[in-house]
Amino acid sequence: MNEVEGGSAALRLFGLHKVFGEYTAVDHAELTVAAGSFYGLVGPNGAGKTTALSMAVGLLRPDEGRSEVFGVDVWDDPLAARKLMGVLPDGLALPERLTGRELLTYLGQLRGLDPATVAERAAELLEVMELAGDAERTLVVDYSTGMRKKIGLATALLHAPRLLVLDEPFEAVDPVSAATIKRILNRFVAGGGSVLLSSHVMALVEQLCDTVAVMAKGRVVVEGPLDVVRGGSSLEDTFVELVGVKVGGGEGLSWLAS
Amino acid sequence: MAGVLIRMKLAVLRHTIAGPRATWMLTGGLAGLAIAAGTIALATTDAAAGTVADLLAVTFTIWALGWMLGPAFGGDPVLRAEQFALEPVPRTRLAIGLLGAAFVGVTTVVTLIAFTALVVYAARLGAAAVVVSIPAVLLQLTLVVLLSRLAARFFGALARSRTGAAVTAVITATMMVLSQSGWVVFIALDVVLQTGFSRAFSLTVRALPSSWGVVAVEAAGRGDWLWVVGPLVALAVLVVLLVVLWGRVLGPQRLARPVVRGSTAESAARWADRGPVAAVYVKEVRTWLRDPLRVQGLLVAPVFAILSGLLPLMFDSTGFLPFVGAITALLAATTSANLYGQDGTALWLTLMVPGTELADVRGRQLAWLTWFGPLSLVLTVVGTAIHGDLWPWALAATTAILGGGAGLVLLVAVDQLVPGPDPHRAKNSPLEHGDVTGQGFVALFLVFAAATPALSVVLAGELLDLPLLSWAGGPAGVLTGLVAYWVLGGVAAKRLVARGPELLYLMRAGKEHEAALSAETSVIKAMPRHRRGLLWTSFFIGCLATFPQGLVPLGMKLSGEIERVWFLALYLPEGLQWPVIALMLLLGLSAFGLAGWVYLVESRKLKARLERKARERERIAEPVSVG
Repeated sequence: MNEVEGGSAALRLFGLHKVFGEYTAVDHAELTVAAGSFYGLVGPNGAGKTTALSMAVGLLRPDEGRSEVFGVDVWDDPLAARKLMGVLPDGLALPERLTGRELLTYLGQLRGLDPATVAERAAELLEVMELAGDAERTLVVDYSTGMRKKIGLATALLHAPRLLVLDEPFEAVDPVSAATIKRILNRFVAGGGSVLLSSHVMALVEQLCDTVAVMAKGRVVVEGPLDVVRGGSSLEDTFVELVGVKVGGGEGLSWLAS
Repeated sequence: MAGVLIRMKLAVLRHTIAGPRATWMLTGGLAGLAIAAGTIALATTDAAAGTVADLLAVTFTIWALGWMLGPAFGGDPVLRAEQFALEPVPRTRLAIGLLGAAFVGVTTVVTLIAFTALVVYAARLGAAAVVVSIPAVLLQLTLVVLLSRLAARFFGALARSRTGAAVTAVITATMMVLSQSGWVVFIALDVVLQTGFSRAFSLTVRALPSSWGVVAVEAAGRGDWLWVVGPLVALAVLVVLLVVLWGRVLGPQRLARPVVRGSTAESAARWADRGPVAAVYVKEVRTWLRDPLRVQGLLVAPVFAILSGLLPLMFDSTGFLPFVGAITALLAATTSANLYGQDGTALWLTLMVPGTELADVRGRQLAWLTWFGPLSLVLTVVGTAIHGDLWPWALAATTAILGGGAGLVLLVAVDQLVPGPDPHRAKNSPLEHGDVTGQGFVALFLVFAAATPALSVVLAGELLDLPLLSWAGGPAGVLTGLVAYWVLGGVAAKRLVARGPELLYLMRAGKEHEAALSAETSVIKAMPRHRRGLLWTSFFIGCLATFPQGLVPLGMKLSGEIERVWFLALYLPEGLQWPVIALMLLLGLSAFGLAGWVYLVESRKLKARLERKARERERIAEPVSVG
């Protein structure tokens, strides 16, 4: 099913495995994100998407397996690997008592970027994300969920990475902000960047991605070009079929609104 | 309602029983029992009945203050009114239900035991007094539980704004000083037991609601029924009023959270050209100013220290003033020991930006020193100048504690991280944090230990009558401080690099990651770090209390050949020697019991986990079809 050559891969996961206590969260997951591709990782809640992505970028130590960014091992050579990627985790905190601009300045300085470049990029990013102007002096702690996603994306983009790893970038984001994020990501890929994003919104993945993988119960069930994976039907139908779950909600609950 | 809530709380407690919270619950319970035993022992002391009543009144006041302070350190209660905001239950009923649930806990049991001191005291006044003492104890217990909940609510609402946080800090510090100063009474116990307290002191202490039970019991002993019924009724009325008040404040929070504004676009890039340490430093300094919880931390330490220094002025003593600065630094280290835990999962950014762990530690150390360094030094100089003496002691203590604090705060923050809710999730309830009591004690003792070399130099100078050596204490403090800052900060950064992902997991999941196990894993290795700590500590305390402090003095007493050396019991007045030996033996045996219990529970847990794992293996070994 894997049609991409490993050598040109932006991100490759080799048998990543993670057990929490007695619960196997990710079961020997293998993924290959080709350079220049827009890659969607879909799966139901609890499928292990977040755990897999956390291990892939080096935020969670795997029990087994490894992860490579453009051929650089994330756990053996973290410094080089992390320069190449920008990450947006789902629901994690940021330095909360800073404004958006202060946060981007802080990160640019931490990464050793030239102050003038940081100022210029921060201004552009805040402008595009609509976080300047009225929201200029608002602290991140007071941001709405959508604003948090946008500043998170800005922090991931700031150092001009070649690969973006985004965990649920569209969760709880309003349609206008979502459109902004989509446009930015499409431009990023058009410019030669690679994106790996996770989502459980099938329509969105169909619309954006050229390659998809489906995870269920910690395993990667299928991986390949979008059209191959979904065959003739929609991604949602294929997904339900692959994951092999019964769609609930048809029976029981007779007392509701009776 | 109460029944449902009590069952719910028990269910939650059952699920947390494996976590660090449980470890500290056990430790705290043990310490509490020792204090409770002390309270009961007070009721049996051989002094005038009125003096004993005074002592009990003071002790009960300290217990009440402790209950009110508890939530500030112990975090939020298990069950909160907000969780039931959408249930159609009247507020008063909810208040009574939550009160019922609040009674379920180790602290309540320990306090009840301590309060039975009143019954013990009543026994010497006659049967009527004993009968009166029982409702008095129950009312008193209800009172402290209610006061604790109301204080938590009050501080929680206040602490959302920076001004409120500052007010909370001052009140908290004042209560801490008051409950501490109560012990001054006990230092002078020998004198007090003979001469009694002054009348004004007796009256003041008895006016406090926590002493009304004592007043009623005393009156029952005299047969003065008006003064029996009066205080008890007053106590009951107060309890009812507090329940009603609590029901009222349980509603949605009325105070809006004031929004703190950040800097303008022009000034956002301050010091942007000075490298990673400056980046962290600026971020930290801004956070100390903008986060109500940090503002509170900024104030508690100096206010506590200054009040503790001023209090002895009542007895015309300025002896405490030189150490106000040192105490500020010491308490600042204690309250700042959860820097990483407070920031929550924001650690991911530090981990994602390559090679910045050391910069992160150094920036935080410098910010801490910026806030507490000059402050402590100025307080030291002013305090010592007023006192006019003790310069070497004060300077050595302050410099050594500042440096030791700057090093240890970060090391403890990394090593003993207490996870709590992420700051953006708790922005409306800033006091909702993990239980940092244990971590605070660790920081307190370690920082104090870091100051001992410098203080020893001063002591040596005093003993040998070499003023120059005494004065060398200050430079010695600077030296050990610099070493602590440099070395311990480095160790903290190394730990951060080594354990970064594990710490992030701890903050994400709220519990430690369970390591992979094999049949060879020893029980000691497999148990969580905090459990291991508890096991060794209780084993050590058990050895110390049973042998040198229990059995050895026991033998000496029996044989009559007494060498005091460091045997605590032998330094005490004759009447207290046997009780203290008994107490030490009891403490030692309980500590051994606790250590054994921990080992037993953990080895059982390990066995169960290994069995489950073996089953899991078998299941996975079966082929599974993959689409």
